[in-house]
Amino acid sequence: MFIGAGMASLVVAMVLMLIGTGSMASAARSHDLANVAAAHTTSSAHTTSSAPPCPYCGGVTPKEGGSMTVLEWTGYEGSWPGLDPETDTDGGADISYLDAIFGELFELGPTGANVDDLATGYKFTNGTKTIDVFIRKGVKFSDGESFTPTAVAADWKADLTTSCSCKPTFDQKTTPVIKVIPGGVSITLQYVDASFISAMQGSIFNWIVAPGALAKEGAAKYAITPVGAGPFEVVSDTPSSVLVLKKNPHYWQTGLPYLNNLTFKSVANTEAAYEAMLAGAGQAYEDISSPSLAKSFGSHFTLTSEPSTSPYDIQVNTSIKPFTNITARKAIYYATTAKLLDTKLFGGKTPVGESFEAPAGKFYEQKVPGYIGYTLSKAKAIVKKLGGLSFTLFTIENVQAQEMDEALQTMYEDAGMHVTLKEYTLTALVAEFETGKWQIALQTAGAYTPATGVGVAFRFTSHSPFSGVHSTQLDTLLEEAAGTTDTSVRQKYYDDAAALIAKEAWGPFLFPINGYDTVIHNAGGPGLSTPLAAVDVVPAILWEYAYNNNS
Amino acid sequence: MAALLSETETQILPEAVLEEIPVRRGRGWVRSLDIYIPGVFLLALLFVCFIWPYLYTIPPPVGGSILDAGLPVGSPGHIFGTTAVGNDVMSRLIYGGRTSFEIVFAVQGLGLAVGGLIGVMAAMMRGVAETVAMRLLDVIIAFPAFVLVVVIVLGLGASEINLIWALAVISVPTFARVARAGAVTVRERTYVVAAELSGSKRWQIALRHVVPNIITSLLTFAVLGAGVVVILEATVSYFGYGIPPPGPSWGNMIATGQTTMSARPSLLLIPCITLLITVIALNTLSEGMRRRWGAVR
Amino acid sequence: MIAPSRGAGGNDPSRAAGGDKGDGSGLRWWAAFSSSPTLRLVVRRILVAIPVMVGVTFLTAVLLNLLPGDAASALLGADATPQEVHQLYLKLHLNEPFFVRYWQWIVGVFHGHLGASLQNGQPVAQIIGQRLPITFELIVFASIVMLLISIPLAMLCARRPGGVVDRITMVLSMGFLSVPQFVLGLIFVLVFAVIFRVFPALGYTPITQSVGENLRDFTLPAFSIALPLAGFYVRLLRADLIEQMESQDYVVTARAKGFGSWYILTRHAFRNSLIGFVTIFGLNVATLFAYTVIVEEIFGLPGLGYALINGVGDRDAPLVQGIVLVLAGIVVIVNLLTDLTYGVIDPRVRYGRSAV
Repeated sequence: MFIGAGMASLVVAMVLMLIGTGSMASAARSHDLANVAAAHTTSSAHTTSSAPPCPYCGGVTPKEGGSMTVLEWTGYEGSWPGLDPETDTDGGADISYLDAIFGELFELGPTGANVDDLATGYKFTNGTKTIDVFIRKGVKFSDGESFTPTAVAADWKADLTTSCSCKPTFDQKTTPVIKVIPGGVSITLQYVDASFISAMQGSIFNWIVAPGALAKEGAAKYAITPVGAGPFEVVSDTPSSVLVLKKNPHYWQTGLPYLNNLTFKSVANTEAAYEAMLAGAGQAYEDISSPSLAKSFGSHFTLTSEPSTSPYDIQVNTSIKPFTNITARKAIYYATTAKLLDTKLFGGKTPVGESFEAPAGKFYEQKVPGYIGYTLSKAKAIVKKLGGLSFTLFTIENVQAQEMDEALQTMYEDAGMHVTLKEYTLTALVAEFETGKWQIALQTAGAYTPATGVGVAFRFTSHSPFSGVHSTQLDTLLEEAAGTTDTSVRQKYYDDAAALIAKEAWGPFLFPINGYDTVIHNAGGPGLSTPLAAVDVVPAILWEYAYNNNS
Repeated sequence: MAALLSETETQILPEAVLEEIPVRRGRGWVRSLDIYIPGVFLLALLFVCFIWPYLYTIPPPVGGSILDAGLPVGSPGHIFGTTAVGNDVMSRLIYGGRTSFEIVFAVQGLGLAVGGLIGVMAAMMRGVAETVAMRLLDVIIAFPAFVLVVVIVLGLGASEINLIWALAVISVPTFARVARAGAVTVRERTYVVAAELSGSKRWQIALRHVVPNIITSLLTFAVLGAGVVVILEATVSYFGYGIPPPGPSWGNMIATGQTTMSARPSLLLIPCITLLITVIALNTLSEGMRRRWGAVR
Repeated sequence: MIAPSRGAGGNDPSRAAGGDKGDGSGLRWWAAFSSSPTLRLVVRRILVAIPVMVGVTFLTAVLLNLLPGDAASALLGADATPQEVHQLYLKLHLNEPFFVRYWQWIVGVFHGHLGASLQNGQPVAQIIGQRLPITFELIVFASIVMLLISIPLAMLCARRPGGVVDRITMVLSMGFLSVPQFVLGLIFVLVFAVIFRVFPALGYTPITQSVGENLRDFTLPAFSIALPLAGFYVRLLRADLIEQMESQDYVVTARAKGFGSWYILTRHAFRNSLIGFVTIFGLNVATLFAYTVIVEEIFGLPGLGYALINGVGDRDAPLVQGIVLVLAGIVVIVNLLTDLTYGVIDPRVRYGRSAV
């Protein structure tokens, strides 16, 4: 009985699983053909299209109409609490939804430059301490209310007191003064902040709340059905599950957005997203980080590798043993082979770098003078001289980071070090930093411009709770950089900062974070089918240009 | 999550579920095959997981070389291939089995000892104490088990020992119910009543008559629930609250294998099939034990 | 959680039907007031349920409070500064003592307010109102599928134990019991959504929009729950039926009267087995809910289970307590319905004086 039952169950289970995994490819292939066929029939059916051309769609002429369902991983983007930027504590992860609903004052365009959206430009005055931002005229929120400088000023004032970590990282000790000026809004800062406009990317200042709708609905209701001046308006929202949007009839750019309907759905994981897309349940998926799954997506859909702005880095705590000793820090440099990690874990798609920016960042330099490269024998020699080197390496709880940590552990143990691994959830990770007792961590450091977000200041300045370095010299360099509007002078300061980090061996940089977005064939948009620079970790897809020519 | 439900349900009506094929009229060794085959298989599995690594050098389950990352099944030196960071899958299966068996033994052992004690005591004390004890256990059993496990693991932190405590919170009350159900039938038997009337102390009766009578059914039940515990562990891992990687367990191998199922099906299939065979062996063994030694009627 | 729960012996009809003797003495006056024993049972159950439900929410609140971390830091994530966390902490009133917060919540509940979610200020009642129908439909659909599979199969198996049908069923049931649910769900998606494209992989259409689409959306999730369940129940029912057929006196009598096996099985044995079956089914409604957590996540159904797990992760006490309260209420109601069903199934069980 046992043998019979065992064998039979086994066969049943295996057949089920093998049918599943094995014949997925052929099924998907026929699906692609169906897509192409559908595209052909529709293109001949609708020859008259009044849609404006898309400047960033890689030469494709998008058709007006249609719909798109975008899948989002529940572990990051796919769990949104509410979508009022003032109360959304998770704004950094909710860029896609907030951009689609609220639009942006300034967009980060494909060329890596700020593009006017709801704003029409800016000007530094008052010795570059005041920034005047001009607001586009004649724009309306999706409920018909006028989009005015008064609304922007009120929104910014509220932003200063919000609890979202996505509010701009001002390095200011006094509250900025916000005023309505003719045709725009002005903000006066205590110190010069050269990257103020760039820092608006992915920050709450970029999303303007409709004051009338907020007053009418009340904060709780507004968080579920927010009103903005973006390309889409909310039809229904089930937080962390489904967000249904439709074209905003009052959108300021005529003929845009291309899509009539845009839906976001939360999915369990990338594998589930892949199956869902094969089954036709979704047309796009954001932020694939697993290279092997990216390959699977790539064989059936358009896969776009997004230019990265942040590299992985190994952060050391210079106030806690053993890394108070520069020799021990150097051993880490000598023992780290970023190239091998990149090739084996990520297919070597991105260049290994030595600085706190990635290729799409504003001040990227691949090589840094004085950077210590991989030399295992030297690492071994140091460990021997120090009489051993033990430490705890920690990182955030996600598959990619954990895999990298495991690989790093092996590398360091090859050099004779003793490494203990720890993984923390976001909350626990913050707590661990706050203790100040941590030794070494795998993190990311970088942003579109280094002064903003999880940039170099976040990881390396004395006053940041997430920094293990306390150097007035480095602080000064970074402050000077942030206070200069001249790009070439800023570049100089950042190069000096990178060289200083290398000289003091404050932590090696590895290679850019690899992020992919995917979309079905004959559909896309900037950030979906054409590359778009990441703001922090993911690019802010320009939803007004998203299209689906299959429908 | 088949696990969650059957863990609870089987406890409520263990007798009925255990019975697969009505008592057959076979004889001698043929009749005992359904104990020997799964029994020998499970012993072999335990041997491979716990002793084999000491006799024969196998690659370590963690800290594999990045140079060996992502090898397919059948690669020289790595018969089941390697994971994305170069760990040997065969070795992870062996060490993971060790972790999983440790969890199973601890959870079912705690259930058997603590739950059994509570159940027998409740049955022997009777009256208000019995009612109160059983109602309290009912509350725990009826609480969504999965939520309880997640809350406990979140509270204590994810580790093997904490996972054991969390799973034991489910196994203890269910064992208690089975033990009490068995003890209640035994305590009504004439010879027990006679012993009681002749002045034997309650704990003496419990030790001499009740425990020996219910122990086989509890053991059978423990074996049956063992597979359930592994599935439960996998499910908890799927939600990120299980054995923290890189330390292997069958559960977290299935959970992580699932995340790259379409790209590397072998990482999911290998632990899944191993688990399937093991669960079938455990079920068959528990049925065999029940048939052989019977249960309290 | 489950208020006046039935005893352990599912096979023991007297216990199953009676139960809880004696602890309702404080409510004796009600007996004089109402001459209907059924009504009396209903009212007594509801009154007993109130303190139990309060107790369950209190237990939940205590457990949540014991967890490390709080809603403020959970909601803000890794790149928040301590000042930002503190600001939100005060805004969410987390500085107030635990008992004060719970007291305010429970007083609100008695006034009909379930409070607001800490995540987004959305009223908890509204969240539950949106999500409960989905979880409810999932559980009902899965239960129906399970019954339709397990009852006929169990009868076929019990008719000829050890026969071909019996063996295949036993093997399959063990197989379905041995595969983790999240793997089963993904395999279903692969086979039925990706390869055969007969059912959708994700999402849900409200039943008010299209009944057909709605049922199609729920088919794969419901089967993912129902098949392992059926694997369990078919074994349960089959074993009980076989025992009835082999050992019960009434079967012998019926055989003597010349009735065929199939007739006895469907008319007599099945009816007797059904009580145990219904008891266990009722007892396990709370556990059934645990199934939906995984299935909701895999199939992207915005149900209660997923909200509950997310709520625990975010330390969203009002949301978690609210959901647990509703679940406890459902368990109480289902158990009551189960008890009332006994009278329908078995005419010997009627709620007379002695039974309540």
